[in-house]
Amino acid sequence: MSIEVKDLQVAYGDHAVIPCASLNIPKGKVTMFIGKNGCGKSTLLKAIARILPVSKGQVFLEGQPMKQISQKEIAKKIAILPQSPIVPEGISVQKLVSYGRFPYQKPFSGLCQQDYDIITWAMKKTGVYEWKDQKVEALSGGQRQRVWIALALAQKTDILLLDEPTTYLDIAHQLEILELLKQLNKEEKVTIVTVIHELNHAIKFGDHIIGMKEGQILFEGSPKEVIHQENLRHLYDIEATLIQSEKGSYPICIDYTLLKETK
Amino acid sequence: MKKSRNVFLFFILLLIVIGIVSIMIGSYHMSFHDILQTFLGKGDKLQEFTIYQSRLPRIMLAVLVGSALGVSGSILQSITRNPLAEPGVIGINAGAALFVVLWISASSSAYYSELPFAKVIFIPFIAMIGSLVSMLMIYLLANKKGLQPMRLLLCGIGVNAGIQAIITFYQLNMSKGDYNQVLTWTNGSLWGSSWQYVLLILPIIVILIFIAMMRSRILDVLGLGDELALSVGVAVKKERVFFFVLSTLLAAVATSVAGNIAFLALLGPQIAKKLVTNQYRYLIPLSAIISAIILLVADLFAKNLFSPIEIPVGIMVSILGVPYFLYLMLNRK
Repeated sequence: MSIEVKDLQVAYGDHAVIPCASLNIPKGKVTMFIGKNGCGKSTLLKAIARILPVSKGQVFLEGQPMKQISQKEIAKKIAILPQSPIVPEGISVQKLVSYGRFPYQKPFSGLCQQDYDIITWAMKKTGVYEWKDQKVEALSGGQRQRVWIALALAQKTDILLLDEPTTYLDIAHQLEILELLKQLNKEEKVTIVTVIHELNHAIKFGDHIIGMKEGQILFEGSPKEVIHQENLRHLYDIEATLIQSEKGSYPICIDYTLLKETK
Repeated sequence: MKKSRNVFLFFILLLIVIGIVSIMIGSYHMSFHDILQTFLGKGDKLQEFTIYQSRLPRIMLAVLVGSALGVSGSILQSITRNPLAEPGVIGINAGAALFVVLWISASSSAYYSELPFAKVIFIPFIAMIGSLVSMLMIYLLANKKGLQPMRLLLCGIGVNAGIQAIITFYQLNMSKGDYNQVLTWTNGSLWGSSWQYVLLILPIIVILIFIAMMRSRILDVLGLGDELALSVGVAVKKERVFFFVLSTLLAAVATSVAGNIAFLALLGPQIAKKLVTNQYRYLIPLSAIISAIILLVADLFAKNLFSPIEIPVGIMVSILGVPYFLYLMLNRK
């Protein structure tokens, strides 16, 4: 297991968004969090990445409690791409990606050759190298998302968490980002964890799916195991029509209707 | 990179030129030749006195105070993610002013009389304490699970308004002499221009700016948003408090010897931002240099325009700086 979450409670003020959650994120796989808006999937992701404080419970990284690891050490192991990071005015693609090397730098020492090699590698891997001297604000949404992924990649972490990386993108760019993540997972053995809304994308690109409802883990497992009508009814209150993909390796949701009795 | 270096060279040269002009111009005019001779030890008594005891310490003070305010504003704008932030807006200067007002009016002197020397000499320390009290108040009010940028700014503005009200209340009850003294002080003036003050604040300001430079990369990363900064390993809450203290300390030191110079801490960093890339490694020193230049030019005018009457330099900063600032803002691409 790369990440193990045990009896985790996350609260905003007095309100426990996640009362008690335990789960495992398998190493070297693509894990997808699905669920309704406000079900706590982003919150859980942020708590795992230590962006949000945990009220109770523990998160273990490779068996070690995360509380015992320093912020900088964690930054070398887990990178998280937030939903809407800020693009500083006038910054170039290369400069932005170079911030991924922050956890490895010491005060005053600039970037060394190795850092530059990694930055170049990260930009090539994500296909943003050709725009390296362009301003980030001049890029399109899809291109920009690739730049952020390059930054996270430059952190050279084993685990990459992404909070809705495909939201606001058109279908082609959504697929492009997901293909990229899959490729990074295969070639670089990066463990990928994302929050995603598009059900079929989760099924197609995910090895491991975690369904959440009202702060609870509803189900967890491979798409084949957990994506069926019963679970989807519980998760989204929808009646789904599923067929099997050509090779029969994963289900496809071709139609869905909202169940009337729920408001 | 190359462009940034040229910008730096230009502004450093400009600072030196204005420094020399500041030595030349005054109630006693000196030629460039005179200055050169004096520096070589061949000047007469009057020239030596003018340069070493009057003009040079004042220039040094202007450069130090300008630099401190420039860096202070630059940091504050970064951690609040708000280009309008400056130490004056959040009440750091007001805290100093309040304490000075209380100090002056504590045992009120007779109408129109000058302040006793014993009282004047403590003003920088009193001002410093006032700034730090302001800082502490803002911190205690704004700190709720770390300093949220907006909360920090709003609390600062509230503190500022509250302190200003108290100052006005006291000023209404003051004697004429005290009132004038306070008024000059609250509008900013480089009155503390003696070598003692220069030597006192020089190491403090140099060290504080050095620390800011050393940690400038953290300011860059904070600009990507809290979540991303956390992701790359920045302890956001801790760092924001650290930089808030650093910024207010710089402002406090500057205010202690130069009074309340408004707007400069906003002006310098914003001009710097238009000229070099958005990296604090460049922004911090350039903000310092540009703010120093503005203050030096403003002081030159403040001293000489209606000589022998001196206008508070803070007013001059606004008169000179605002048009240029507006020009820069309106000409954005």
